[in-house]
Amino acid sequence: MWWRESGVTLLADILTILLNGLQQGAIYVLLAVGLSIILGTLKFVNFAHGALYLVGAYLGLFITGQVPLNNGQLAEWGIQSYGIGLGFIAALVIVPIAVFIIGLLMERFIAQAFYDRPDTDQILVTFGLAIIVQELLRALLGGSSQPFPQPSWASGPIALPVVGNFPRWRLGVIAITAVLVLGVYALVEYTDFGLIVQAGTLDGEMVRLLGIKLSRPYLVVFGIGAALAGVAGVVGGPLANVNPNIGTEQLVPAFLTVVIGGVGKIEGAVVAGLMLGTLQVLLIQTGYAAWSQVGIYALAAIILLVRPQGLLGSEVDVS
Amino acid sequence: MSDEPRDATATAAADADAEVTGGLGDRWASFRDREISTVLLTVVGVAVFPFLFNNFLDGYTQLATLMLIYGIFAVGFDILLGYTGLLSFGHAVFFGGAAYAAGIFSASVSSSPLLVLLAGTVFAVLLAWIVGFLSLRRGGIYFAILTLTFGQMSFYLAASPLAFLTNGENGFTSVDIGSLLGVIDIHGGVPFPLSMLVDNMLYVFVAVMTVLSVAMANRILHSPYGTVFRAIRENERRAEFVGLDVWRYKLMAFIISAAFAGIAGSLFAIEGNYVPLQSLYWTESGRIVIMTVLGGVGSLFGPLFGAGLYLYIENIVSGFPTLGPFWHLILGIVFVVAVVLFPNGIWGGIDYVRNMVVGGDEE
Repeated sequence: MWWRESGVTLLADILTILLNGLQQGAIYVLLAVGLSIILGTLKFVNFAHGALYLVGAYLGLFITGQVPLNNGQLAEWGIQSYGIGLGFIAALVIVPIAVFIIGLLMERFIAQAFYDRPDTDQILVTFGLAIIVQELLRALLGGSSQPFPQPSWASGPIALPVVGNFPRWRLGVIAITAVLVLGVYALVEYTDFGLIVQAGTLDGEMVRLLGIKLSRPYLVVFGIGAALAGVAGVVGGPLANVNPNIGTEQLVPAFLTVVIGGVGKIEGAVVAGLMLGTLQVLLIQTGYAAWSQVGIYALAAIILLVRPQGLLGSEVDVS
Repeated sequence: MSDEPRDATATAAADADAEVTGGLGDRWASFRDREISTVLLTVVGVAVFPFLFNNFLDGYTQLATLMLIYGIFAVGFDILLGYTGLLSFGHAVFFGGAAYAAGIFSASVSSSPLLVLLAGTVFAVLLAWIVGFLSLRRGGIYFAILTLTFGQMSFYLAASPLAFLTNGENGFTSVDIGSLLGVIDIHGGVPFPLSMLVDNMLYVFVAVMTVLSVAMANRILHSPYGTVFRAIRENERRAEFVGLDVWRYKLMAFIISAAFAGIAGSLFAIEGNYVPLQSLYWTESGRIVIMTVLGGVGSLFGPLFGAGLYLYIENIVSGFPTLGPFWHLILGIVFVVAVVLFPNGIWGGIDYVRNMVVGGDEE
């Protein structure tokens, strides 16, 4: 295996595991941060978050290049391929904006009607939405996997000190995630907008009594959360193939990351995502690949049972 | 919640009404509220179902069997979701787990269908005891996510570390089902008087289990025990103030619903002679949620109906010329519409219409 060939030092092994863990965790973090701020501020459980990731990935494919259609309804109607071929950077810019707008629409037309209904109903309706999105894409574009090409400027390996050769795109994933998460963190922590959102999370009624309208900031929070899921789709797409199931596959680890980190805590989501990612990579690279998935769920179960409010959550958050 | 088994006072009121007015609707209501009539209706229902289904709805007996199996699963799930108000996203563990347990039991211990059924159900109950004990410490979304976590954990456990038992990705193929009580071939035909209705012994076996399950669920939900479940759903804190040990009742509701899932899972293994790995994946848990909600939470027959409708769309409508490829999408849309507009599902809707027509029993 490639990491063994490049210098069998323990340090290199550890660093490789950490870097791969960082990359694996990065996608979890991107999804979880969005999910977490929506759950924390709006108290809305969004099971359709995976579907937003899915939309992001397909939209990314559409913007990046030309994708041939082999099966699905569009192919049967005579359309052979889709895509506008603007390249990866364009996708990275356009997808978040598009999914941000989808998020706004979702908040206005679906989420809002469910704020006062029980968690159970929120889960049910968003779960149904996720199925609709997934099956619409499957029906139109077919269920087969599409390769999502890595951007040419970031494909191939890069030589790193100590670690040796490392896929350039994985570093790209880590960097993009870091920038985005820091951006959202700064927005929530250091701006007036963030202050209102935080205050609203603590005591929405009080904020309203002070004459501050909360519906607009909440709308934006939902949009930002959705946009992060969309970016995650573009960034995560090239790491594996794109097919209609990737949304549901990513949803469960993303939710785990949120609850492990503590609902509404951005830094919690980061810590939890990196922990899950690193554990998964550690198990794979030390020869326990069969246990890698079981491992992250077991870790999640243990943390939730010992510390139900999550690693960085406060006791008050637990309903 | 309109279509619940009426509690004692409502029944008494309905009886009193019946004496005074003696209207057709009231007489029907008082008939409907008796336990024996619920069981009788179920017997008649499952007896004529395959005939009607095969002749008028493009169905076939194997699908009818599968509908009843998922019906049992959904009836049990409703005890948890509809009556106790807990949304589990990990019930595939008990369905799939029981199917695996039943399959492995049949291959290595005994192939008697009744023992296989028992083994699968016992396994599901024991598993539910552990999972419920751990997941029920938290309410709301934490419960949903914890059950989801345990569900996924068991899926990945069965997928590779336990592949020597479960045969991993390929599913468990060596299910070996013998004859019922040593004489009746369970995959064979049926003797004369019954053969006018059904053509398959397996259906008869599953139908008997369905009737028993419905009777059992009906008995539980009408008992004081079942009333406590509803009290917890309506207001957990109030139930606690009255002095009820809410946590213990929730755990029991969880275990009871898992027992139904276990019966269904074992029957599923017996029916198909095969256990797919997919039966443990969380989308399977999602399927049962959809069936139950679509049919109608908080009613006895709603989930049965929902399971039938889901499988009908999945297997029959999917073969229709233009609509076919979009069957899953249609299901998703119907589901969302049901959640938004008809929280009591299709059965709740039927109930509503009936109450409008007969003048009904508004509370």
